[in-house]
Amino acid sequence: MLLKRLVPMFFTCSFLFAFSVLRAQDKSGMPNVSGDFKNISVENFLLQLEKQTGYHLYFDAGQIDSVTVNLSVKNESLAEVLKQAFNNTKLEFSVDNANNIFITKGLVIQTELPNGFFNTARNNKNENRNDTSVDIYSYNDNKTQVAAQQNKLYTIGGNNPSNNSGRKTITGYVLDSKTAEPVIGASIHVDNSSVNTLTDQYGYYTISITGGRHSLSIQNIGMKDAKREVVVNGDGRFNIEMQSQIISLKNVVISTEKASNVRSLQMGEQRIDIKSIKQVPVVFGEADILRVVLTLPGVKSVGEASTGLNVRGGSTDQNLILFNDATIYNPSHFFGLFSAFNPEVIKDVELYKSSIPAKYGGRLSSVLEINGREGDKKNITGTAGIGLLTSRLTLEGPLVKDKSSFIIGARTTYANWLLNLLPEQYKNSKASFYDFNILVNHEIDKKNSLFLTAYMSKDNFNLNSDTTYNYGNNNISLKWKHIFNNSLYAVVTAGYDNYNYNITSRSVAINAYKLGFDVNQENFKAHFNYFASSKHTVEFGMDNILYKLHPGTYEPQGKSSLVVPDIMQKEQGLESALFISDKYTVTSAFSVEGGIRYSMFNVLGPDSFNVYPSGVPKTVDNIVGTNYYGKNKFIKTYQGPEIRLSARYAFTDDFSVKAGYNTQRQYIHVLSNTAAEAPTDIWKLSDPNIKPQFGQQVSLGFYKNLKSNTIETSVEVYYKKIKDYLDYKSGAVLVLNHHIETDVISTKGKAYGVEVLIKKVTGKLNGWLSYTWSRTLLQANDISQGEIINAGKFYPANYDKPNDITFISNYRLNHRLSFSLNATYSTGRPITIPIGRFYYDNSYRTLYADRNSYRIPDYFRTDFSINLDGNHKIHQKLHNSWTVGVYNVTGRKNPYSVYFVSENGVVNGYKFSIFGSQIPFINFNIKF
Amino acid sequence: MKKAIVYIISFCILWGCKEKFNAKIISPPTGYLVVEGFISSGANATKISLTRTVKLYDVVNTVYEHGAVINIESETNELFPLNETADSVYTSGNLALDNTKKYRLHIITRDSKVYVSDFATFKTTPVIDSVSWARENGGVKIYVNTHDLLNSTKYYKWDYEETWEFHSPYYNSLVYQYDATGIPIAVGFKFPDHSIDTTIHKCWNTVGSTNINIGSSEKLSQNIIQSPLTYIEPSSVKLSVLYSINVHQYSVSHEAYIFFQNIKKNTENLGSIFDAQPTELQGNIHCVSDPSEIVIGYIDISEETTKRIFISNDEVPGWGYGTKCAVVIVDNQRDSILRNGVGLWPTIPFSLFPLGGVKQFYATGERSCVDCTVNGSSQRPIFWP
Repeated sequence: MLLKRLVPMFFTCSFLFAFSVLRAQDKSGMPNVSGDFKNISVENFLLQLEKQTGYHLYFDAGQIDSVTVNLSVKNESLAEVLKQAFNNTKLEFSVDNANNIFITKGLVIQTELPNGFFNTARNNKNENRNDTSVDIYSYNDNKTQVAAQQNKLYTIGGNNPSNNSGRKTITGYVLDSKTAEPVIGASIHVDNSSVNTLTDQYGYYTISITGGRHSLSIQNIGMKDAKREVVVNGDGRFNIEMQSQIISLKNVVISTEKASNVRSLQMGEQRIDIKSIKQVPVVFGEADILRVVLTLPGVKSVGEASTGLNVRGGSTDQNLILFNDATIYNPSHFFGLFSAFNPEVIKDVELYKSSIPAKYGGRLSSVLEINGREGDKKNITGTAGIGLLTSRLTLEGPLVKDKSSFIIGARTTYANWLLNLLPEQYKNSKASFYDFNILVNHEIDKKNSLFLTAYMSKDNFNLNSDTTYNYGNNNISLKWKHIFNNSLYAVVTAGYDNYNYNITSRSVAINAYKLGFDVNQENFKAHFNYFASSKHTVEFGMDNILYKLHPGTYEPQGKSSLVVPDIMQKEQGLESALFISDKYTVTSAFSVEGGIRYSMFNVLGPDSFNVYPSGVPKTVDNIVGTNYYGKNKFIKTYQGPEIRLSARYAFTDDFSVKAGYNTQRQYIHVLSNTAAEAPTDIWKLSDPNIKPQFGQQVSLGFYKNLKSNTIETSVEVYYKKIKDYLDYKSGAVLVLNHHIETDVISTKGKAYGVEVLIKKVTGKLNGWLSYTWSRTLLQANDISQGEIINAGKFYPANYDKPNDITFISNYRLNHRLSFSLNATYSTGRPITIPIGRFYYDNSYRTLYADRNSYRIPDYFRTDFSINLDGNHKIHQKLHNSWTVGVYNVTGRKNPYSVYFVSENGVVNGYKFSIFGSQIPFINFNIKF
Repeated sequence: MKKAIVYIISFCILWGCKEKFNAKIISPPTGYLVVEGFISSGANATKISLTRTVKLYDVVNTVYEHGAVINIESETNELFPLNETADSVYTSGNLALDNTKKYRLHIITRDSKVYVSDFATFKTTPVIDSVSWARENGGVKIYVNTHDLLNSTKYYKWDYEETWEFHSPYYNSLVYQYDATGIPIAVGFKFPDHSIDTTIHKCWNTVGSTNINIGSSEKLSQNIIQSPLTYIEPSSVKLSVLYSINVHQYSVSHEAYIFFQNIKKNTENLGSIFDAQPTELQGNIHCVSDPSEIVIGYIDISEETTKRIFISNDEVPGWGYGTKCAVVIVDNQRDSILRNGVGLWPTIPFSLFPLGGVKQFYATGERSCVDCTVNGSSQRPIFWP
C-alpha cells in the first residue's frame, strides 16, 4: 500500500523536473529581434519588443521603473535579448506556449503545470479543451471562467487592459472541485487591500476591486486554502473551484488570514459544519445537530430529554429553526432525545444569537439556519449507515450533469427493542420514528437557479399507557435565485410548512377519543442583495407568512364512544415584514451594519374572541361578551419596527471589538407547563387577548486570534429584556381551552450573561472550550393579570443554569483514526419543590409555593468516541467508517428531575435520570 | 459478536433510572390550615377535619387542629354548628339544608383567626349504577359506572375502601411466649384438647383509597361515566378468598374538580418527561384576618352515594395466589431442634408418642404463615357475607 502511494508521488516529481528542462530549450524557437536600445526605460524597451514580435509582454510597471536598458542587437532570439537586457538586474522572465512573456522581479513565473497535476475529472477535461494555459474570456461572451488552478493567471472582464482605472465588480461561485457543490461561507480576500467578502448560502460572492493584477485568497474550513492570480480588466464572472482537504500533508501551514471571526461584522454567530458535528460523540452514536449546537456558549436545554434550545435566556419557542428556509416546528424525535435532522443531508448549521440579520424575523431569541447539502453533480453516490437506534440511507447524484443534482435521505428506527429492556414501569412503551428528505437543485442558466427542499418527519409513541401520541413535520420550499447583474441578485422563496400531532386513547370504550392539532404556514419571501459599491452592501426584501392553526379537534373513536366532538375554531393570521439593511465598510478597520425590519401581524377571521374589561384579570367570570368576526376580516393588527444594528472596529488584524443592538417581535407562541418542550405543546397565534412578545438585546464582544489565527478566542457580553412572554397560571388547562387567555399570564423577563469561547479550528487537535455565565429571570407582578408568581419577585426560568462549561475536542492520530472527547458541566436547573406536606384524602401530599426556588444537583458528563475510517484510496467502490464510543463515561446519574409523589399514603422523593449509566454505542457507515 | 450484543444490552437496562432522593430539603415551618370534607346535602352528617401543614421532613406526621369553632353558614345567616367528635374531626348533627340556598363554612381557630369558604350551591349526587370489573393483564381492573339523566352533575369524585378476607396458609394449635424483643421462647397448646386455633386462621384487611379519583362527563354526549378506580395486581392476596370494594361517589362543582385535579397533578402525576410542573394550589377557603395566608382545601356541598360489590376467588380462574410459606417436620428433640428448627415457628404436631407427647412437629418460617392477625384483623366485618 505504501508503495502504491509512492508511485504517483514519484511521477509528480519527474514531471516538474522535465518541465524546467523544457523551458530552457524553448528559448531557441522564438522570433528574432533587431534594434538599438540606448538608455531607454525597460518599459519602453519592452513595448518595442512587443511590437516587433507580436508576443504579449506582462509586467508591473512599478517593479521595473528604475531599470534602464543599454543594448544593441541584430537578429538575435527574443529570449537571448531579454537575457542580455536583464543581465545584472533582478528581473526575470518566463514564456508560456501562447506567446505570453511575464516579466517579474526576483521570482520566475511558472507558466505551466503538467497535465494531471490536479487529478480531477473536470480539470482533465479542461486540459483537453484549452491548450493555452491562460483562459481569456470576456464577460460579454456570457461565459464564466472556472478557475481551478492555483498558479494560472486569469483575466477577467475582457482582454483589453485599457479600462484599468476605477473599480470592477466580480461575481461568481466558489465550488467544490470534486462534487461541484457550492462552498458556503468561504472567505475571499484580496491581497494587500481591505477588500474581503464571504460567499453566501449558495456559494455566491460579489467583490469589488480596482482593475489590474490581484491575488485572491480563498479560505474555508475543510477546504484547502486557495489562491487565484487574476488580471481584472472589467466587470466579470469568475467561478473558483476549491479542493476539499482529503489528505493533510505533514507540513506546517503558516497562515495569517484565518481571521474571519475577527473580520466579519456578525457577532454572536456560530457556524458548525457537518464534519465537526459528526466528530462529537452523542448518545447512541447518532450524529445530532442540535446536541452539538447545545454545546455552544449561550445555548442550553432543560436536560437530556430535550433538544429544545434555550438561547441566551430565551424559551424554546423563540428560535426560528429553518431547514433550507422551511420552518421546522418540532425538531426532535424519540421523546426529544434526538434531533429530527438527518446528518447525511446537512451541510452545516449556523446559529445567530445576537445580531440577527434584518432578513430574519418572527422569533425573539435566535435563528438556527440548517443548510442542506447539494447533491453530487457529477456522479451517483450514496451512503448507508447502521447504528443502535436508526438506519440511514442517502442517495445523491446528477439529474443533468453539472447542472442539477438531487439528494434523497431517509432514516428510520427500530427503537422498540430498547424500550423492551426498560424497567417494568415502562414495559408497555413503544416508540418509532422516521424522517425523509429530498433536496433538488437545478441551474437553469447562468442567471437562474432553482432549489427544492422537501422534508417529512413522523413520530409515534406511547409512554407506558393506552394513550398513543403521533406527531410530524411536513415541509416543502422552492427557491428561485435570479442574478440580475453583477451587483444585484434576488432569491424568491415559496413554501408550505406543517406541524401536527394527535393523541389517541382507547382504554375505556365510552371515553375513547382522538385529539388532533396542527399548525400550517404558507410562506412567500422575496429577498434582494444589492452590492452597491465596495463600501455598501444592501439587502432588502419582504416576507409574508399566512398561518392557519387548528388548535384542537377532539373526536370520538369507535362506535361505543360517547365523546362529543369539540372542534376548536381555526386560528388565522398574516405576518408580513419589509426590511432593508446596509453593510457599510467605513474604513478597513471600521464597519457598521444597520437594518430595519417593519413587521406587521393581522389576526384574520372568521373567529370569535372574548371581551374583558381593561384592568381586571382575564377570568371566565370577567367575560363581558364575545365578538364574532367574519371570513378574512382583519380583526386586530399588531405592528412595529425591529431594529438591527451592529458595528465592528478592528484594532489590529487579529483583534476586534463588536457591538450590537437589536429588537425582535414574535407573533406565535408556545403554551406549555411542562419542563421539557413536549410534542403536544400548544402553538398559539397572538390575538386580541394575547399580545405579541417583544424582545431587545444589547451585546458587546471582543475577538482575538492567537498563534497565526489558529486559535480563535472571543468574549461576548449581553443584556436582554423580554416583554409579554407567556407563562402559565397555577393549575392551567392548556388543551382544548376555549378561553386560553384566562390560563396564561404575560411575564417580563430579563437575561444577561458572559460567554467565553476558545476555539482551535485547525491541526491534529481541534475543538473548542466554552464557558457561559448567565441568568434568566422572569417576573409576574401585575395583579390585574389575576395572579402574581412568587410574590411578584423575579424568579429563575426553567432553563436558568448560571454556570456552563463545555469542552469538545477531536484528536486525529492519523488519516484513518481519530479520537473525540466531550466534557460538560452545568449548574442544575431550577425546579419547584414542596415547602411542606399535609394530609388529605388518606394520603400525605405536598405543598408547593415558590416557583423554581430549588435546583437539582449539578450536571456533569463526559463522552468518548473513536472514529475509524477505512482506507483512503479514492478509486474504490466503497468507503466505510466505524464509530465506537461511550456516552456518559463516568456513569454519573445526572438528574433530569427531582420530584415528590404521594404513594400509598406517603410522600416519596425521587431523582430521575434519563441516562443513569455508561451508554456504549457503535455505528457503521458505508459510502458508495 | 453475540457477546458484544449482550454486553450492550446489559448496559441499556439501566437506561432511565429512578432512585430515591433523600437530600434533606430545609423547608420553612409552615403550619397552614388544611380543611378537608364536604358539607353534606344528604342524610349523612357533615364531617370536616382540620389539620396543619408540616415541614416536608419532620418527626411529626400530622398536626391536628383542636378546639376550633366551626359553623355551616347559609346566605341568610343560619348557623349549623359542628362539634369535635374525634381528633380534629368536626361533625354536624342531622342537617336539613334548603336546596335553594347557598352555604359556606365558617371557622374560628384557637388562635382567633377567621376562615371562610366561598358560598357553594346545593347539589345532590346520582346513585352509582354499578361497580364493575374486568380481567386485565392477568389482574382485575375495577370501574365505577354512573349516569345522571338530569345532566346536573358533570364532575364526580370517588373514594373507596377495599376489604378482603385472607387465610393463613397453615393451621396452628399453639400459643407462644415471647421475650422482651418479641422472639418466641416457649410454646404450649392453646386448647387442652390440642385443637386448631381457628381465631388466627381467617382474617380481614381494609384499606382506603389513597389516590384522588375524579371524572367528568364534560366532553361526553351523554352523562354516562365509566371510570377506572383501581387495579388489583395478578396473584394479589386481595382476591385469595373474597374481596369487596365499597365505593363512595360525590358530585362536585367544576371549580372543586379543578382543585382535585391540581392536587392530583401536584402529588401523583409527576416525574416523567412530559408531566406538568407542580403549581400552587388554590382552593376556596380564605383567611379573613390575613387574606395572603395560604389555606388548603375546597369546601363544596355534596351528597354521598355508595355501592359495594364482592368478587370471590372462584370468579377469577387461575388467580395464582401463593405465599412463600412452607413447613418442615422437626423431631422434637433438643439436638434436632437446634440443627433444623432454630428461628422457625412450631405450628401443629406431626406425630405423637404412643404415651403422649409430641414426637415430631411442623414448623414454618414466618409467623404470618400460621397467624393471619399479623397482616389483618380477625374481626369479621359486619357486612361480610
